[in-house]
Amino acid sequence: CGFALRGAVNLPFQSIYVGLPDSSALGGELKRHLRANGKTEVTSQATTAEVVLDVLGETREKTILSLNSQGRVREFNLTYNLKFRLRDKAGREVLAPTTISLKRNLSFKENEVLAKEAEETLLYRDMQSELVQQIMRRLAVVKMDTPST
Amino acid sequence: SSFAQTQTVIETANKNASSLSAATKPQATQAADKKAVDPSTLPTVIQAETMNGEPDRIVRMENNVIVTRGDTKLTAERASYLQIEDQLDASGNIELQRGADCYTGQLIRFALESGVGFVLKPSYFIARNNGQGKADRIDFASEERSTITNGTYSTCQGLDPDWYLKAETLNLDTGLDTGVAGKSVLYFKGVPIMATPGWMDFSFPLSGARHSGILPPTMGHSNKGGIEFGVPYYFNIAPNRDLTLRPKMIARRGLQMGIEGRYLGESYAGETAVEGISDKLTNTTRYAINSIHNQKLTPEAVFSWNLNRASDNDYPADFSNSTTKTAQRLLLREVGLDYYGSIWNASLRSTSYQVLQDPSAPITLPYERLPQLSFHAGQHDVVGLDWSVDALMTRFWHPTLIRGNRAVINPQVSFPIIQPAFFAVPKLSFHATQYELDNPAQGQASHYQRTIPSLSLDTGLIFERQASLLGEGMTQTLEPRLFYVNTPYRDQTALPLFDTALADFNFAQIFSENRFTGHDRIGDSNQVTAGLVSRFIEGDGTERFKFALGQRFYFNTQKVSLDGKSNPSRSDLLLAGNGQISNTLNVEAALQVSQSDRQSVRSSYGIHWQPAEKKVLNLQYQFQRDVLKQLELSGQWPISHRWYAVGKSNYSLLNRKLVEGLAGLEYRADCWALRFVAHRFATTTLNNNSGIAIQLELTGLARLGFGSNPIETLKKSINGYQPSTTN
Repeated sequence: CGFALRGAVNLPFQSIYVGLPDSSALGGELKRHLRANGKTEVTSQATTAEVVLDVLGETREKTILSLNSQGRVREFNLTYNLKFRLRDKAGREVLAPTTISLKRNLSFKENEVLAKEAEETLLYRDMQSELVQQIMRRLAVVKMDTPST
Repeated sequence: SSFAQTQTVIETANKNASSLSAATKPQATQAADKKAVDPSTLPTVIQAETMNGEPDRIVRMENNVIVTRGDTKLTAERASYLQIEDQLDASGNIELQRGADCYTGQLIRFALESGVGFVLKPSYFIARNNGQGKADRIDFASEERSTITNGTYSTCQGLDPDWYLKAETLNLDTGLDTGVAGKSVLYFKGVPIMATPGWMDFSFPLSGARHSGILPPTMGHSNKGGIEFGVPYYFNIAPNRDLTLRPKMIARRGLQMGIEGRYLGESYAGETAVEGISDKLTNTTRYAINSIHNQKLTPEAVFSWNLNRASDNDYPADFSNSTTKTAQRLLLREVGLDYYGSIWNASLRSTSYQVLQDPSAPITLPYERLPQLSFHAGQHDVVGLDWSVDALMTRFWHPTLIRGNRAVINPQVSFPIIQPAFFAVPKLSFHATQYELDNPAQGQASHYQRTIPSLSLDTGLIFERQASLLGEGMTQTLEPRLFYVNTPYRDQTALPLFDTALADFNFAQIFSENRFTGHDRIGDSNQVTAGLVSRFIEGDGTERFKFALGQRFYFNTQKVSLDGKSNPSRSDLLLAGNGQISNTLNVEAALQVSQSDRQSVRSSYGIHWQPAEKKVLNLQYQFQRDVLKQLELSGQWPISHRWYAVGKSNYSLLNRKLVEGLAGLEYRADCWALRFVAHRFATTTLNNNSGIAIQLELTGLARLGFGSNPIETLKKSINGYQPSTTN
């Protein structure tokens, strides 16, 4: 039915700086996937990279999704929003600010509150992996202008 | 003697040779240059049909008088100007323009250079915020400051404003962007609705900026407290600090005082809200506190707290008008210290909960962690290996259940092979756990040790093809994935359950090693999870649609269980799909189907349609077998040019009961908005809260605040709601 194994994906830049601190789990996973691509170098300084990924906002939100008939929370909605852009060396945006939003449902019971805390962490980690995949998809198709001399 | 010409330029004391050409410069350029030019050097241009006087002493003008100086322009029928005193007197159809502001009146006297003076019987217009009104007299203290005596103020256009403030004195300062009214009465549609005494100033911003002042008052009625009236007051202390006072009169209970402060610094941020009341109904003092604070001690260390407390079980139900407060019956108290190293981080924290009990459905108090020390270290890509170590030491305390200390260490190592079309991640992990119990149950030892290794292999392939979705060309992927886990069985029946429960069955869970969350149970498994994902991806990499299905297959019977039930050979089946059908339509569906009876165990369906601004409809169905079966419809819709309807109905099909219902109307005029919201929601097994709230927002007089007002209720209740605010 037309499906073929995904071919090699060469990112359209030689080196990238990811504007997330070392302690960021998202940054760690993203850098690992950038490196796994082989051709692209992940630099430790913004000045030496061909493109810079700026994270303009990383927010996590927990809102009530459903209440039971006693008016108590039975489900939460977890959302993970990331807003980022990509700039070239001259500071021009090669990818305009882009927002990716993901969400997950988490069931809730008061007597399992400690367990639910760990589950929340698992769901955020799952969203983080999906976020990295979606960022990679967007980076793979950015259009680099002809370099200015 | 008299002048023959009809136009003259009066030059100020320090003569300026180029003053004439400066006078003919276009107004806009002159205004832009205003700061650079010494105002005392600006030339004054006088035009009139008839002009006479004494040179360098006085100029008398009659008929079509126009006096211009800088961006000040006066037109009148008659005027005289004393040059040495710099005093301009004018009368008859006066119109004074200062910048974009305008005053008309009968008699005016002012100094052209300083702008000091007064006007009698004026009407005025301040361009910045469309502020306008009439007065007996306006005194100009400078170009920016003026005092209005016995005047009115409104942001409505026209001679018959929908609302206006009538004040004995009104000080306007365009430099400080402030209006301050002394003794005043506020009229709406000709009816006085609020009065302030002379000793209390009423201040408002002259533009839409954040500004100290009264927030739109809220009036309402609730079944718990009767009629309520609140006038919040907002203090804009600094750009990064503010304070809101919320006095609220509740007819049956008394005066509730609330105070809310927010702050943000370079190394810290937080907000604290405290409210309290001496309740006439219960004869007790009742209160609630919520406080969050984050403090960066060094670039690596962060101190934080999150403290919440209520005086009694019913406080949120009795005083809150939103489900976000009443639906959560556990109030967290947490203090923590986090340290972020380069490849490791550690945190020390204490947590406990206050339980707001509902006698008909009691909640077991959760364990307190006093404290919990956690440590995580890890590195990616060390000679192709990823490694991590998690360690956790916790003292679990409970007044009635088994108490004890638990130490967990969980090292993991994996060898990810990642290719564009293929990945394989073999992973080995090891759990070592030790318990020391203070008060073991009969037959339970006080000391336990448990060590369990676990092996997993995660593999997947990625296929792609060019496809089309609803007529648009896209890349479609097909991503099969297999996840194998082998964890041997250890008898754990004697171990306490401090922080552990069976996890939700979802896509994140079926691709993780342990079916429990928490560390008290490590499930034995010899199982494989099969998953298949297909995505539709647009040309720019945006994911438009995603379908997924997954199922777990067990090769042996699981023995570790919380309820003694054994598993079938196959798990429930998971199905999910979500994405954007079009720019305005989002859909999502998730389904968990039991393999034994082919019935759904949990499901959720949602449609979110937002065809235009302030136009949204949401339909959501949530189902959990034996727990929840709810249909929710919510939205915001314009019903005419100025009217918007908002509504929400959350109906429990399981209990045939309305869990939450909300209906509201918003009217948006040019210079004011009116909101009316009726709300009803369940708070406990037997109780409901119901209430109505009315809010009148007068543009330019009171800025919308944050916190408990009808707008916030609507924002939280209706996904995609956009307030029809006026600023």
